[in-house]
Amino acid sequence: MAGIRLHVISPLVLVAVRKCARDPSVYVRKCAANALPKVNDLRLEENTSAIIEIIGILLNDNSPGVVGAAAAAFTSICPNNLPLIGRNYKRLCEILPDVEEWGQIILIGILLRYVIARHGLAKESIMASLLPNIFSNEKTGSESDTDYLDIKKKYEIGIEETELAGMVSRSYLAGQDKYLSVLDNNSDVMASEHVSSLFTSSKHDESVKILLHCTSPLLWSRNSAVVLAAAGVHWIMAPMEEISKIVKPLLFLLRSSDASKYVVLCNIQVFAKVMPSLFAPNIEDFFINSSDAYQVKSLKLEILSTIATDASISVIFQEFQDYVRDPDRRFAADTVAAIGLCAKRNPQVAKTCVEGLLALISPKSNTCGFADDEAVVLIQAITSIKDIIKQDPASHENPIIFLIRNLDTIKVSVARAMIVWIGGEYNSIGNIIPKMVPVILRFLARSFPSEPIETKYQILNAAAKVLLNSKGEDFDTAKNILSYMLELAKFDLNYDVRDRARILRKLLSCYFTSSRIEEKEKADNNEIEIPVLLAEHVFGENVKSSIETVNKRFYLPGSLSQIVFHAAPGYEPLPEPCSLTESDMVKGLEGPDQTEVNDSDVDSGSLNEEGSYYSEDSVTASTRTDDESATSETGNNNNTDSLISFADVSKPQEETNDISELMSKGDLESWLGDNNGQGQSQSQSQSVDERIPSARISIGDISARIKPNIYTLLDPTYGNGLKVEYKYSLEASTISPSLVSVDTFFQNCSSDPMSKLILTDEDSESVDQGSSESQKDEPVFVPMEEITTLEPGQSIKRVIHVHFHHHLLPLKLTLWCNDQKHPVKLRPDIGYFIKPLIMNLDAFSQKESQLPGMFEYTRSCSFTDHLAEVASDDKDGGMSSTKDSFLIICQSLASKMLSNANLHLVSVNMPVDAHLNDASGLCLRFSGEILSNSIPCLISVMVYGNCFEPLNASVKINCEETVFGLNLLNRIVNFLAEPRLTS
Amino acid sequence: MLQCIFLLSDSGEVILEKQLTGHRVDRSICTWFWEQSISQPDSNFKVLPVIASPTHYLFQIVREGITFLACTQVEMPPLLGIEFLGRVADVLSDYLGGLNEDVIKDNFVIVYELLDEMIDNGFPLTTEPNILRDMIAPPNIVSKMLSVVTGNTSNVSETLPGATSSCVPWRTTQLKHTNNDVYVNLVEEMDTIINSDGALVKCEIFGVVEVNSHLSGIPDLTLSFANPSILNDVQFHPCVRFRPWESEQSLSFVPPDGLFKLMSYRVKKLRNYPIYVKPQMSSESGTCRLSVMVGIRNDPGKQVDSIVVQFRLPHCVSSANLTANHGTVNILADKTCSWSIGRIPKDKAPQMSGTLVLEEGVEQLHVKPTFQVGFKIMGVALSGLKINKLDLKNLPTPAHKGFRAQTEAGQYEVRS
Repeated sequence: MAGIRLHVISPLVLVAVRKCARDPSVYVRKCAANALPKVNDLRLEENTSAIIEIIGILLNDNSPGVVGAAAAAFTSICPNNLPLIGRNYKRLCEILPDVEEWGQIILIGILLRYVIARHGLAKESIMASLLPNIFSNEKTGSESDTDYLDIKKKYEIGIEETELAGMVSRSYLAGQDKYLSVLDNNSDVMASEHVSSLFTSSKHDESVKILLHCTSPLLWSRNSAVVLAAAGVHWIMAPMEEISKIVKPLLFLLRSSDASKYVVLCNIQVFAKVMPSLFAPNIEDFFINSSDAYQVKSLKLEILSTIATDASISVIFQEFQDYVRDPDRRFAADTVAAIGLCAKRNPQVAKTCVEGLLALISPKSNTCGFADDEAVVLIQAITSIKDIIKQDPASHENPIIFLIRNLDTIKVSVARAMIVWIGGEYNSIGNIIPKMVPVILRFLARSFPSEPIETKYQILNAAAKVLLNSKGEDFDTAKNILSYMLELAKFDLNYDVRDRARILRKLLSCYFTSSRIEEKEKADNNEIEIPVLLAEHVFGENVKSSIETVNKRFYLPGSLSQIVFHAAPGYEPLPEPCSLTESDMVKGLEGPDQTEVNDSDVDSGSLNEEGSYYSEDSVTASTRTDDESATSETGNNNNTDSLISFADVSKPQEETNDISELMSKGDLESWLGDNNGQGQSQSQSQSVDERIPSARISIGDISARIKPNIYTLLDPTYGNGLKVEYKYSLEASTISPSLVSVDTFFQNCSSDPMSKLILTDEDSESVDQGSSESQKDEPVFVPMEEITTLEPGQSIKRVIHVHFHHHLLPLKLTLWCNDQKHPVKLRPDIGYFIKPLIMNLDAFSQKESQLPGMFEYTRSCSFTDHLAEVASDDKDGGMSSTKDSFLIICQSLASKMLSNANLHLVSVNMPVDAHLNDASGLCLRFSGEILSNSIPCLISVMVYGNCFEPLNASVKINCEETVFGLNLLNRIVNFLAEPRLTS
Repeated sequence: MLQCIFLLSDSGEVILEKQLTGHRVDRSICTWFWEQSISQPDSNFKVLPVIASPTHYLFQIVREGITFLACTQVEMPPLLGIEFLGRVADVLSDYLGGLNEDVIKDNFVIVYELLDEMIDNGFPLTTEPNILRDMIAPPNIVSKMLSVVTGNTSNVSETLPGATSSCVPWRTTQLKHTNNDVYVNLVEEMDTIINSDGALVKCEIFGVVEVNSHLSGIPDLTLSFANPSILNDVQFHPCVRFRPWESEQSLSFVPPDGLFKLMSYRVKKLRNYPIYVKPQMSSESGTCRLSVMVGIRNDPGKQVDSIVVQFRLPHCVSSANLTANHGTVNILADKTCSWSIGRIPKDKAPQMSGTLVLEEGVEQLHVKPTFQVGFKIMGVALSGLKINKLDLKNLPTPAHKGFRAQTEAGQYEVRS
């Protein structure tokens, strides 16, 4: 019955479900639980509370089958209503092993969320230990039981890369920034007490213990999803000495089907990164079988290189040697990269690695033609060698010599270029290389015209580097070689080569003019020094390699998001620890949403007084430029359309009830204006004059009412009086169209001047020092120019540019001020990942018809902003207000939309046969395009309901990029539904 | 939760579409998927099991040429989707006696009925094969005849299966068998990696305890092992009680009716492997001589059957000429070379030898193929696991008990 999906019968269905939920038969109760999500799917708001009540009844059931189904209903209907769980928590835990396997998966997730929200993280768990500041607090704190410290010492060795691991744990939790800011001023005694209260002891706390106890048998389940879910609970909550429990079951899963093998490996990879010691004894489980799929192979390789220890490295290398000879050359290349990684992590084996890699390059192995796949391995081998050498160039003299010797036999252009680079970079190491390099250069100079372009670049660079480093006799030779090459490059076919040659000549002009090196040394004036320094700086730079891609985003183990590396719609991190308080529990059905209200909102609310200056000045200025064109356009429309609308309007209102006919915004306003005119019984010519100004005023109103939200980046209390706020700018970024520009305001609230203010990307320095991770998909922050000084009371505006790549998690930045570091967070706003796309109504509806079906999604919400205005208008406006109420709704809706998202207002339509006070059918259309890929995104807002009551707004988005569209839809619905802060 | 399930044939055609929720998923997603999987360089459809398409997240598994595809738009545990698809595939092949395009098209009614029972509103419902058998009769000639004659096409039974309401959801309540018997079968698979130096890198056994029970009433069984300590890790059927295992390492359970996997286990770090393969390769001036010897290494005490040695010829081999002194050598179109030996004769050691001709311009072969070995040994469990005893309780009449064991090769690989 519930599957019929008819709105009309839903109350009947609900009654039936309620009755069935108390049925004596288990099967009937189970079916009732299954029916609940379907009823809820009809999105009838009035039913929600009744549905939740029934879920509560069903969760209370004694039969495991019913509980499983009820758990499924719970997650799909009200996943945040944790008090509902609290009532039955203990019983649910006990019943867990008996629930059928699919229900177990869901129920485990719910229970984990509840425990975290209610009791906080377990103190002994790996997650807690990874927030380093808590350590210090705990030590001084009252609860320093020796037992605990012992464990900690034991495992501190085991956990490497705490930085990375801390990030993992932080990204699991929601609302972590609050704690981080608390932790930053840990001198505060209050803070430390607050923090320690967040943690509960899994040894002493009953609820945590019972959860762990009941989930551990599930590690033996035959269903891989259950095992992984249970392992996730242990990973987050279990004390560290018990965490090894999850290793064997996880590894057992590797024997299941190919598909689940991949998913499990993805999760193991994260575990292994955080705690390599966990999997270190089990290296042979990650040895590669030839029947594995390529993705599985590369994951196994990555895990192997992560968990390699001094003891196991020799075994692993022996394996790698076999892999290198694998017929799948792509995989062989990956292996070579993994060897390079291992060598970097364990420097003592670097020598052996390099020798092994050199054997690959040696001419003997290179005879298998120059097929594409072979070249991949070769290039990778040289890249790996280069990375290893970079760590300690002095000790790798022989490999460099070997490489240079083999330059003749290597024909792949990228590989050649790389060897030339190595030669140039390390031309002064040891005794032999300085002698070899000029010879090689001479040889290269001869073959210069026939080299491929990449190699040409590197030859030029290498020659310049040699020149900078050489002395005496060599200097002259080097100079001759370089000038010869530059001469050749001048007439090269490729313009880039020519340009580079020209730059080099200019940079190094001092060397060419001064015929002798002694002269250069004598010439101590700046004219020569600057280019020399510059040249040295330019050539001192390293070429970035992009082998290692460290994935910096972590999601909960076992979640879909962890596999696809972005937050899937509906993904939620764990709730804030201890966000669920006793009072929430007492309140029962009232969700913990109260605590969820973001502190940023509160901040921005309190700061809105100051903030509104900016919005008044700069925003109206900026939007006006945008809107001016729009204004003139609609103005023009108004003029041209007015002839038609006269005819309509001059008729009595009852005659214009053609349902299909919709009016454009211009028409609407002229119609309203006209009604006014008629009310005052003026002639038509006068009403024309009236109409045009009225249209202009209304648009001016909207642009003045657009107030983009201002968020706080740094609060003065934490930043020693420095206040930093930001808002998303409506203007496109000046650097690149795909960047989002953010206006940032620095204000000095303290009495001392401040200096050297700069915002930098936090991750660039803190994470994984040596490795150059440049993943394509993560937010990129374009560095801003430094503010040298900021006087007390002064405020400065800077525009920063960020490329978010559609990530919705906060971007972590570091704010430097007076050489002090303040970690801050920039919250992305999806509403500004788009830019206005100017289009008219026809184009809009045409585009809309092209994006049907799966590109279209709708959600509805209630809208209340207009109420205050309509009400006040009603009091003093009298008769005319009833006509204006439509306009007020339009205005408040449009201004709300435009102040929260960067959109273009296409049209405002309303049905002609609208009844008094009935706003149903009012339709606003907006258009925008996504910044990064210029895919258009169409938004229509339909309004239903009475003018004087909260309106039901239904938002529809048509967009090819579904994930983006859904996220945007959620955002729009959220801000539409939230009441206005200042009236 | 899952929104839609598609079954695709090996040519990318949509065999079956099952919408699960009110939010319809357009078929165009399959076209997109197929284009993606074809565009992969190695055309074995080895695309990722979890794919983020522009509109949906897709889970896929491939069974015998049929691609099972599930779509969702929201966050959910990916293993839930994958595991469920695996169950669907198992149940379908169980019902239809194998999986291929034709057999699915012939039995559309049954497949849809099964899916209806197995998943509801995107959430898995009943996946236990025994229960499904009670609800939906498997196809057979009689039922086909009946449906043709009577015009009644439904296979869904009228009554609800009793098990849905009992506390043991995997067993129907009133069962009567004339002759009660229960068979326990240890099926083990051996995974071995022998590296290019001939050294043993890894040797493990993955075993399954299969039970085939035909017992009346609600029997209570206890199975105990003589040496449970060798087990490295275990996975249980839901019917196994955890407590007795934790305390005394014995399996106590109420069995489902028919054949089921009671438990699977793993034994690690074994030293003895039954078969050796010694490949030798030497290449010069465009040809490569290959000789492979196979023999018994550690005699398991029973006859080793159906020995097969398989390997893939490297890409740069243009032709191969291989002969064996025992058994037959086949080279398939996809450059897979398969040498089926069968049993090893007493008088001579099987040997395969011949030359591989390399492609133009290639002097030496520097990639080494991996040899995969298949074999079967009846009557012995190589892990050494021994069943101590099986106790039957709560039975109206005494039952017949039987035990068997066998070992097969799993991923038994020898690198050259």
